[in-house]
Amino acid sequence: MEMLIRDILEESGKKYSEIKAVKWLKKKEIFERSYREMAENVAEIRKGLLAEGFKKKHIALIGASSVEWIESYLGIITGNTVAVPLDAGLPGEDLTDLINRSDSEALFLSPKNKALLDVILAECPKLKKIWLLQEEETEVSDDRVATLAEIKSASKHSDTDADRPDSEDVATIIFTSGTTGKSKGVMLTQNNLAANVNAVNYWTKPGSVLLSVLPIHHAFCLVMDWLKGFSLGTTVCINDSLLHMVKNMSVFQPEVMLMVPLMVETVYKRLASADTSIPKKVLANAVFGGNLRIIFTGGAHLDPYYIEKFAEYGVDVYEGYGMSECSPVISSNTPEDHKAGSIGRPLSNVEIAFDNGEILVRGSSVMKGYYNMPDETAETLKDGWLHTGDKGYLDEDGFLFINGRVKNLIILSNGENISPEEIENKLALGELVGEVIVTGENNGLTARIYPDQDVVSAKGLDEGSIQTTLQAFLDQYNKTQPTYRQITGLVVRKNPFIKSSTKKIKRQEAMIDEAVLPGEHQVRT
Amino acid sequence: MTQEMQFKTIAAQYCKVKPEEMTEDMRFREDLGFSSLDFMSFLGELEDTFDVELEEEDAVQVLTIAEALELLERLRG
Repeated sequence: MEMLIRDILEESGKKYSEIKAVKWLKKKEIFERSYREMAENVAEIRKGLLAEGFKKKHIALIGASSVEWIESYLGIITGNTVAVPLDAGLPGEDLTDLINRSDSEALFLSPKNKALLDVILAECPKLKKIWLLQEEETEVSDDRVATLAEIKSASKHSDTDADRPDSEDVATIIFTSGTTGKSKGVMLTQNNLAANVNAVNYWTKPGSVLLSVLPIHHAFCLVMDWLKGFSLGTTVCINDSLLHMVKNMSVFQPEVMLMVPLMVETVYKRLASADTSIPKKVLANAVFGGNLRIIFTGGAHLDPYYIEKFAEYGVDVYEGYGMSECSPVISSNTPEDHKAGSIGRPLSNVEIAFDNGEILVRGSSVMKGYYNMPDETAETLKDGWLHTGDKGYLDEDGFLFINGRVKNLIILSNGENISPEEIENKLALGELVGEVIVTGENNGLTARIYPDQDVVSAKGLDEGSIQTTLQAFLDQYNKTQPTYRQITGLVVRKNPFIKSSTKKIKRQEAMIDEAVLPGEHQVRT
Repeated sequence: MTQEMQFKTIAAQYCKVKPEEMTEDMRFREDLGFSSLDFMSFLGELEDTFDVELEEEDAVQVLTIAEALELLERLRG
C-alpha cells in the first residue's frame, strides 16, 4: 500500500499524543516536545509555507539536529514542497552551489550558521526567503530574512492547509558524493521514504528512548532515527555535540542508538581502557547510561569483533546496509533475525540481483533519480535496477554479504562516502601541487602529491621545505572543510604517478608504485 | 598527577602512544592516530575532568598537544 510520511505522522500524533517526541539539551537543562505539540508546529510551518506562496518549490535546510530543524523538515515534506537538507559543515561556496543546483527558493537556517547569511544572500539569487530556526526576533535587516515565529504567524492568517502530496511526488533531495567529483541530488519520493520506514522490521514500545547522534542531513539519520522513530512513538533525544556523545548516554539513558562504525570503535576504546577490575556490568552502566540494549550500525562495514565485544557488555549490535539512493536501508540484521558479519536479509520491499558480482536493488525504496543529472541517473538506474557500486553475495540462508566495491568512492568508517576526485580538484589548485591522488587509509584521507617541478626549481626548494610547504597548504585546506573531508596523511612523491595510454593517472597503482620506489620520502601516514 | 600527565593519560586511551612518549609537537590525527571522533570524545573527557566548557569551533582548530594544553590552560584561567 502506498503511503505518505504525512499519514505516518498524523497517526503518531493521534496515537502517541502525550508521549514525548523529542528531548534536547539547552545549557545543560532538558527540554521536551510531545507528539501533539510537534504535530501542531509541523502543521503551522506547512501552512505558513503555503501562505508565503511556496507550492511545489524546493526548500533547503542548513543546521545541526534540533527540534526546530526536524519540525521545519516535516512541515516541508508533509505539504507540497520538497526538502533539501544540506551539510552545515560544508564551506559556504559548496553550500551556495548546492542551493543553486537544487533550485531551492527558500531556506531554513540554524542561528549557529548565521555567519553564512552574507554569502548565501549574495550568491543565491533564486532564494526568496530565509527563515532562521529561532523564535526570537532577528536583528538582520534584509527583507528576505525572517524567523520561525514569522512563518508560523503567517499560517495564522490563513485557514488553508497544503494539499496532501501524491505518493509519487518527490519529498526530499539528499546530496551524496558522486564518482565524477560532483555531488548528486538523490530524489526520494513520499512513497520511497514511507516504504523504507515501514519495511525496516523493528519494533519497540512507544516512549522508548533513542539517542540521535548522527548528522541529520544524512538519509540514515533522517529516515531511521527520526521518521522511523516517530512512526513507533519513540522519544528521540538530540545529542548536542559529538564532544558529549558518551556523556549524553548517561543524561538521556537511551535504549536504542544508530551509529556508524567509527562511533562503535570510539565507544569501545572507552570500555577497553577502563580498569579491568571494574565488573563489565558496572562499566556498561557507566558508559552506556544503564538502559542501552541495541545499536544499529550502517554507513560502512563494521568489524564483527565489535559485535562480540559489545555483547559482553550486554549491548547487541546489528549491522545494516543501505545508501541514500534506497531511502536508505536495503538490508538489516534485526534482534529476531541476524548473522554476524552479514549485513542482514534484504528488506521485504526490495529485490536483489547481481551483475558480475555487483549488488543490484529494485523496489519501492529506490530513488526516482538524480536531480537534473539524466546521464548519471541512466548510468545508475537501469531497467528499474539500482546499481549500488558494491560487490556482494547472498548466502544459503538469504543473508547479504559485501566483499568489494565497483565504483571509485572511499567509504570511511564514519559512514561518509568520499569522492577522491572532488578533493583532488581542490588540492590541485595548490601552487606546489603537480599531481595528486587522494586515498583512504587508517580511517582517514591521505594526499599523495608529486610536487610541480617547475615551482620546485624556480623557488629552489629542498625536500624539507617541500614537505613543510605542502603540509601548510593542507592545514589551510583542512580549516575550510568538515572533518570527514580533511587530509590527515601526506605522502610526497619523488616520481610522477604511473599513467595510462590516455595520460590518466592509474589510480589503483598510486600506492603500489610508492612502496617500491627507493628513497621515497614518506611523511605522516 | 600533574594536569599535563592527566591530559596525556586520557589521550593514551585513544591511541597506542604511551603518555610518557607524548611530546608537545605531536599532532592528534597524524601522529597519535586519533580519528575525528576520537578527538571529539577526548575533548569531551577533558571537559569533564578539568571542569571546563569547550566550543566546538575552537576545538577543531587544535592540531597538536601543545595547542590543546594551551587551550585548556586558557579555559582554566
